[in-house]
Amino acid sequence: MTGTSSDARLITPTMIAAWLVLATVPLWISKVGLYPYIGVEILIWSIYALAFNLVLGVSGLPSFGHGAFFGIGAYAFGLTQFNVAANLWVCLIGATLAGAVAGLLVGLFIAHRRGIYFALLTIAFGQIFWTISVKSHSITGGEDGLLNIVRLPVNLGVVAFDISDNDSLYYFVLAVFAVVAVVLWRLVNSPYGRLLSAIRQSEVRTAHLGYNVWLYKLSIIVISAGFSGFAGGLFAMAQRSAFPDVMNLAQSGLVVMMTLVGGGLVSFWGPVIGVIVFLTARDVIGAMTNAWMLYFGTMFVLLVLFRPDGIAGAFKLLVERWKARGATPSLSSAPRSG
Amino acid sequence: MFDLLPHLLNGLVLGLLLALIALGFMLIVGLMEQINLAHGSLFALGAYLALALTGPNPPLPSDLAALWLQVPLGWRYGIALIVAPCLAGIVGIAVEFCMRRTYGSDPLYGLLLTFGVALVLEEVLRLTWGTRDHVLPIPQSMSGGFIFGDLIWSTYRFYAAGMAAVVIGLVWLFIEKTPYGAMIKAGAHDSEMVRALGVNLSKLRLGVFMLGTMLAAFAGIVVAPIWGIRPHMGVDAVVPAFLIIVLGGVGSFWGAVIASLLVGLAVGVSGAYASEWSLLSMYLLLVAVVSFRARGLFGKKSMLEV
Amino acid sequence: MKKNGKPGQGPSRRSILKGSLMTASLAGVGAFYGPWHHNRAYAQGKKPIKLGLTNDAGGQFGNSGQDEHRAIRMVIDEWNAKGGVLGRKIEWVTADTESSPAAGTRIAERFITREDCPILIGALHSGVANAITQVANKYGTIFLNTNSSAPSEAGENCSRIKFVWDGNGTNFSKAAVANAVKSIGKNWLLLTNDYVWGHSTAAATKALIEANGGKIIDNLLVPQNTRDFTSYLLKIQQIKPQVVGTAIAGDDNKALREQITQLKLDQAGGPAWINNQQDWPDVWGSPQSLFGVFGTTWYHKLDLPGVPEFVKKWQDANKNGPIPVPGNVSYNGYMATQELFRAIERAGSTNNIAIIKALEGHKMSAKDRMQHFDAYIDPDTHQVQQTIYLARKNEKPVDNTDHFQIMSWVEPKDALDDAAPGKCKLIPHDKVPSVDA
Repeated sequence: MTGTSSDARLITPTMIAAWLVLATVPLWISKVGLYPYIGVEILIWSIYALAFNLVLGVSGLPSFGHGAFFGIGAYAFGLTQFNVAANLWVCLIGATLAGAVAGLLVGLFIAHRRGIYFALLTIAFGQIFWTISVKSHSITGGEDGLLNIVRLPVNLGVVAFDISDNDSLYYFVLAVFAVVAVVLWRLVNSPYGRLLSAIRQSEVRTAHLGYNVWLYKLSIIVISAGFSGFAGGLFAMAQRSAFPDVMNLAQSGLVVMMTLVGGGLVSFWGPVIGVIVFLTARDVIGAMTNAWMLYFGTMFVLLVLFRPDGIAGAFKLLVERWKARGATPSLSSAPRSG
Repeated sequence: MFDLLPHLLNGLVLGLLLALIALGFMLIVGLMEQINLAHGSLFALGAYLALALTGPNPPLPSDLAALWLQVPLGWRYGIALIVAPCLAGIVGIAVEFCMRRTYGSDPLYGLLLTFGVALVLEEVLRLTWGTRDHVLPIPQSMSGGFIFGDLIWSTYRFYAAGMAAVVIGLVWLFIEKTPYGAMIKAGAHDSEMVRALGVNLSKLRLGVFMLGTMLAAFAGIVVAPIWGIRPHMGVDAVVPAFLIIVLGGVGSFWGAVIASLLVGLAVGVSGAYASEWSLLSMYLLLVAVVSFRARGLFGKKSMLEV
Repeated sequence: MKKNGKPGQGPSRRSILKGSLMTASLAGVGAFYGPWHHNRAYAQGKKPIKLGLTNDAGGQFGNSGQDEHRAIRMVIDEWNAKGGVLGRKIEWVTADTESSPAAGTRIAERFITREDCPILIGALHSGVANAITQVANKYGTIFLNTNSSAPSEAGENCSRIKFVWDGNGTNFSKAAVANAVKSIGKNWLLLTNDYVWGHSTAAATKALIEANGGKIIDNLLVPQNTRDFTSYLLKIQQIKPQVVGTAIAGDDNKALREQITQLKLDQAGGPAWINNQQDWPDVWGSPQSLFGVFGTTWYHKLDLPGVPEFVKKWQDANKNGPIPVPGNVSYNGYMATQELFRAIERAGSTNNIAIIKALEGHKMSAKDRMQHFDAYIDPDTHQVQQTIYLARKNEKPVDNTDHFQIMSWVEPKDALDDAAPGKCKLIPHDKVPSVDA
C-alpha cells in the first residue's frame, strides 16, 4: 500500500481535507451542472469500491461477483425494513450481516483458491445469486424490484434526523463514509492487513511462515462482503427500492473497472478516485451521447495499456518525477504491485 | 410419463454447441492463461460479420453486391463460415498486440483489457448494425425440421452440432498432432523452455489468441440462427463459457468438452422434468463439482494460481 | 469544461489529474452535441417546458426504446411547429436508461433535479419503470409509462403520477382466451417465463381458461435468459396439448419464435399457439418467425381513416430509420405524448395535479386514436383501456412491411383487467407534491 509513515496515524490530513471538501458538495454541486443524487451515488459506490478493494487490491483476490453482495445487502435492507423493524440501524445491520453471510457461504467454496480459479468461481457464484434473486419474486419482487423502501430517519437516541431528501441523505452517507474509510484504513494498516498484503505477494511463502492463509482469506472475503452489503443497504435507501440488475456480471465488472481506473492496486484511495471519475464521466458523457460506453471503454483500454496503475499510480509517478527534477534524471516507472 | 431419450439426445446436442462456444475461450485461458472477457463480443462480432456477408445488404459497391447476391445462399453461408472468423481473427490480432503490454505483470491486467475491449466492441456493433435484431439466413436444406421417433427435431441444430463436433476434433488434432500444438502447450507451461528451444514466444501467443478469436466468431455464426443476432448477444455466450471452463478444469481440453456435455444434459433434462430449474441446474452442477474437485473435473495446477 | 473540479477527493493535485483525464474524455466526444442544445434560441418570452425522455438505448430493450423515442420526438416537433403547448416551446433531454433500474433511478433524478423536467416519458422494462416511478413519486413528477406492459404497472405498482399507455398481459389474455377455448380446444399447456410478468400473465390466462371450461394440463416455467427451447418443445410434443398459451418475453421470446418456426411446429398437426403481445420493433428483426395468434394495440395497415396519413407523416419524420413503418411501440409513445400535450392545454396549466386531473378518466375517440373503439384513461388504475387486436402472420402481404393479418378486435370493456382496481391504491391528489414547469 502507500507505505509511508502516515499509515500509522488514525486519521491522515488527506482524509480531513477530503471530508471538508466533500462536506461542501451540496452547496455547489448544482452550480457545476450536476445534482445531489449523483453525490449520494458516488459516496455509496465509494464505500462499495473500498470494501471491494480489500479483496482485490489488498489481498490480490480478483472477485468478479461482488455485485451479489451489494445486491443482497440492498434486498436485506428492504426485507428487514418490511419484516423486522423499520429502524435505520437495524436495517443497516441486516444488510451488513446478509452480505457477510453470503460472503461466508461463497468464501467456504473459494477461499482456498486463487488467481484464475478464484476469478471464475466468483463469476459463477455471482450468477447464482443473480438468478436466485430474479427467480424468488415472492421475496424480492423479481424484475419488478422490491419497491417502496423508505429512507428511514437517523435516530441517535436524543435526536432524530430526517434523510428523505437527497441533501440530508448525502450528509448521512458522508458521515457513514468517513467512519467506514477510517475503519478500513485501520484494517489495512493493521498487522492483519499487512498479512493480507503478504498473502497477495506470495501465498506460498506466507503459508510457510506458519499462517493459516485460508482463514485469513476467508475472513477478508467475509469482511469485504459485509461492507459491500452495507453499501448495498445504503443504495436501496437511495433508490427507495432494490433490483437484481446490480448483481449481474456487467455490473460486478464495473466495480472492478472503477477500482482499477482509480488505482486501487497502489493506493488506498484509488477506488474512491475511480468511482468519482467513472460516475461523473458516465453522467456527463451519457448526457451527450447514447454511445457513452464506446468512449468510456476506449478510455479504459488506453488506461490499462499505458497507466495500468490507474489515476493514483499516475499521480505517484508525477510526484516522483517532481522530486527527481533537478536531481539525476529519473528512469522510474510506475510502481507496480499485485 | 414420457420418454427420457429425446431429452438426453437434446442435451447432448446442446452440450456440443456449448462446447463450441467455450472452445476459443478454453484455448486462450488454457494455453495462454489469460481470461478473455471479450470472448462474448467476438462471438457476436462473428455473427454480425456473417450477417454482412450472407444478408440482403452486403457491404460492397452496388454492382458487386448484386453479383454477390447471385451466388446461392448455401455458398454464401459456406464462405461466411470461413471468411467471417478470419476477419474477426484480425480483430483478435489487434487485441493481442495491445495485450502484449500486460504480459509479465498481473494477469488481472489482461483480463481488464479484454473487459474494456468487450465494452468497446459491443458499442461498435450497436453503432454499425443498429440496436434491432437480425436473423442470419441459412440455406433451405439446413433449416426446417424432421421427424424422428414421433417428434419433430430441428434440422439445423443437428447440422450445428455436427459442425461443432468437427471443429472440436480439428482443434484437438491441431494441438495434439502438430508441432505447433506441441509448442503452444509447452509455451503455456514453461515459457523459458520454449524460448531456449528457439521458438518465438510472441508469435506463438499471437497465433493462439487469433485462433481463440476465430473460434469465438465461428461459434457465433453457428449459434446465430438459433439464438438470433443482437448487440448484447455476447453475454449469453460468455457466462456458459466461464462455467464450462471452471467445471472442466482450466487447461484441460477434454475436461471442457465433457463439462459442456454435462451442462447440456443438465439443462436439457432439467428442462423436461423441472423446467424452472433448467438454467440454475448448471450452476448447481458447478457448485457440486467444485466442492469435491476444487480445480474442476480435469483441472491442472495453473501458473495463474501462484 | 464547467464540470471540472468536481467533488475533490484527496489533495488538490489529484483533482488536477482527474481534470486532465476529464478533458481528454470530453475532447474525444467534442464532435457530439448535447440533445438539449437543440434549438435553444427559440424560447421567446415564455419559459419552455422541458420533458425528460427516459428511453432505453442499450440493453435488452434498446431497440424498442429508440423506436418510442422517435415517435415522442415527432409529437414534440409537431407541437412546436404550431406554436408549442400553451404557447410555450417544448424542449427535451434524453439519456440511455440502459434497460437497467439503477440507471433509471439515476437518470430520473438527473432529469428532475438537474434539468428541472416536470414530466418524464418512456419505459419498456418494468423494473426501470418502477425505479423511475419511485423517484417521480417523491417529487410529484408525472411519468408516462409508454410501453412497459406488466399487469402490475396498473395493479399493485400503480401510482397517482404514473400513466400506463400499453395494453398488458391480462388484457391480451382476456381478448384471446375465451374464444380460443371455444373454437380450438379445452386442453391447454402454458409456457411461462419464470418471473413476475410471466407469472401474472399466466395466472390471468389460467383463470380465463378455467372460467371457460378448459383445463391446464401443464405449466412449463421457463427461466429468464433461456436461449434454447428444444427441451420445452420436445416436451410439448410429448404431452400433446391442443393449445399452448405462451407468456415469454424479450430476447427469450425472439429465440422461441425462431425455434418454433424453424420446426414448423406452428403448422398443421401441432398445437395452436396463443401468444401475448409481439412488439413491432422485435418483429421487424425477424418477421418470418411470427407464429400462432398474438396481440397488438395497433398496426400500420389497419383499415381506418387517418392511418395512412399517420404512417406517411411518421415516415417523413424518420427517414433512413432502422424500422420503416411505425408499430405499436412507436404508436404508444406518440399517443401518450400527444394526450399529455392536450391535457396540458385542457388544464390550461402545467401544474402536475391539474394535468393529472385532466388525464384521469379522459375519453379518446376511436377516430382520433386510429383504433376501432373509443378508449379512456382508467381513473382507478391510470391505464389506458383501449382496443386490443388479435393477429397472426400474414400469408398474403401486400408489401414487405405487411407482416400481420389482423383477425379480430376486442372492445376495451371485454379486455379489462377486473382485478387491477382492487390491487391499485392511488394516493389522494392532495398528497402528491406540487410541481409546475
